Amino acid sequence: MKILEVQHLTKDFGGLRAVDSLDLGIEEGEILGLIGPNGAGKSTVFNCVAGVYPPTQGHIYFRSEEISGRKPWDLCKYGLARTFQIVKPFASKSVLYNVMVGAFAITDKTSEAREKALWVLEYLNFEDRKDTRAGNLTIADRKRLEIARALATEPKLLLLDEVMAGLRPAEVDEMVAIIRRLREQGVTIFVIEHIMRAIMALSDRVVVIQFGQKIAEGLPQQVAADENVIKAYLGEEYAVS
Amino acid sequence: MTREKFNTIALAGVAIVAFGLPLVVHSATYLHILILLWLYAYLTTSWNLVGGFAGVLPLGHAAFIGIGAYTSTVLWLQYGISPWIGMLIGGLLATIVGVIIGLPTLKMRGAYFALATIAFAEGLRVMVENIDRLGPFVLNGPRGLQIPPLETGLFSFMFISKVPYYYIILVMLSGVLAFTWFISRSKLGYLLNAGGEEPEAAMALGINVARAKLIAMAMSSFLTALAGTFYAQFTLYIHPKSIISLDLSFEIAFIALIGGRGSIAGPVLGALLLRPVSDFSRIYFGDTLPGMHLIIFGAVLILVMLFQPRGLQEPLTRAYNRLQARLFASKAMEA
Repeated sequence: MKILEVQHLTKDFGGLRAVDSLDLGIEEGEILGLIGPNGAGKSTVFNCVAGVYPPTQGHIYFRSEEISGRKPWDLCKYGLARTFQIVKPFASKSVLYNVMVGAFAITDKTSEAREKALWVLEYLNFEDRKDTRAGNLTIADRKRLEIARALATEPKLLLLDEVMAGLRPAEVDEMVAIIRRLREQGVTIFVIEHIMRAIMALSDRVVVIQFGQKIAEGLPQQVAADENVIKAYLGEEYAVS
Repeated sequence: MTREKFNTIALAGVAIVAFGLPLVVHSATYLHILILLWLYAYLTTSWNLVGGFAGVLPLGHAAFIGIGAYTSTVLWLQYGISPWIGMLIGGLLATIVGVIIGLPTLKMRGAYFALATIAFAEGLRVMVENIDRLGPFVLNGPRGLQIPPLETGLFSFMFISKVPYYYIILVMLSGVLAFTWFISRSKLGYLLNAGGEEPEAAMALGINVARAKLIAMAMSSFLTALAGTFYAQFTLYIHPKSIISLDLSFEIAFIALIGGRGSIAGPVLGALLLRPVSDFSRIYFGDTLPGMHLIIFGAVLILVMLFQPRGLQEPLTRAYNRLQARLFASKAMEA
């Protein structure tokens, strides 16, 4: 069953068409990668799905319900969590505090929120940092904090926006392992990523967009060999026909 | 002895000193200064619910003080309704007004929200200054309202001695501090802090930031209005310039910023530091350099923002923790 289905999604910013009649779907339990050159519209797709921008045209169905136009906080409570490409920690607060804010999406009690947050931190091997101020974390830990907070809301679908950008190779491997573990927990994952090594290893399927339009879709290896994709990334002269 | 016990004892010590002061201080002048000190601590703590936790900068809270003061005073003068009841009615009225102002303005960011609240408070002051009668209610425009001290006693909220006022405001302050402590540890406190610091991230984590801020605004307006009634009963004379003035709104914000917004102790520390400056500069420079206290506040604010941008509560909290650590480290060695 498809957990997320996007039909003919179009988003205009003034005269600029950032996303152009895009169709895509994610099966429950799948990891779908969304790639494309800079400015292709990847983050805009995320922002439309997560309720930040209302789509100009088209429909978005999540768990069989139309969600286009619903607010981010509603969607979060309905099981859709996301991380931000530019991390947004509550910098003056501790890591535990940050994750507890996420946990309050599913409970009203402070003690339950703390328990849930501690569980998530332990699950991500992050509990040794729980009292660190979020503003003092390294970039890798900030990315991990983004995931921890999102995870504390108990999502069905998790949108990961470039959680590996800026990480060292060893940290990328660790992050790939974490994301795989999340999927085993039953979380469906929709991921935007620039690091090809990671996205190829991680995704069940990959969708490639350019100028807001889908130019390829399929298994990671197929997509990597696709002529259009090579053109989009490397330019005309690299396409061997 | 555990740390918790130590904290409880320290808190009890502070409370005993605060409640015992009138036994030692007999001078009416000093009692007056102390009452104003607690009043400002109360006002700033109420302000802090929205100005501190929700991360916006309201600069028009005098409007709520005015609503509280005028409501209870009009009800007492014209209908003989006890100011205690008037206090609650004023609080509810201020809550409604706070929500009405908050609905459009809380979505604004930074300076725009601050300006909108200033505009509202000033608008209210100009209106009250120009209205002699509002329907059946006599407001007396710029001349204000005087409460004749004919009936003293608890029912009429008027006392000959300053001591009852001292205890009333101290109880009110304790109450609002306990309330703030409770909020800061509840879900609402987390949501407000998160929404104030990173609204987009907060929304993505399931927080309706605008609604959380509106709730904080409603509570803050209500509590601030209660202090308005207290102020009216304490001075027995209110007029728009004294009670809906920008000076008052600014002084509250000054105290919060210097003491430390968003913390529980900050507003009280700020009031402890700034109120004496304000009172003594008025006593000594009142006739030669009126407004001197605001210049001093400005200078202090610049220094604090340069060296302790989170307010004075931060170094003091650190010093307290160090003291505690040292005490318990030596205890542990003895044992």
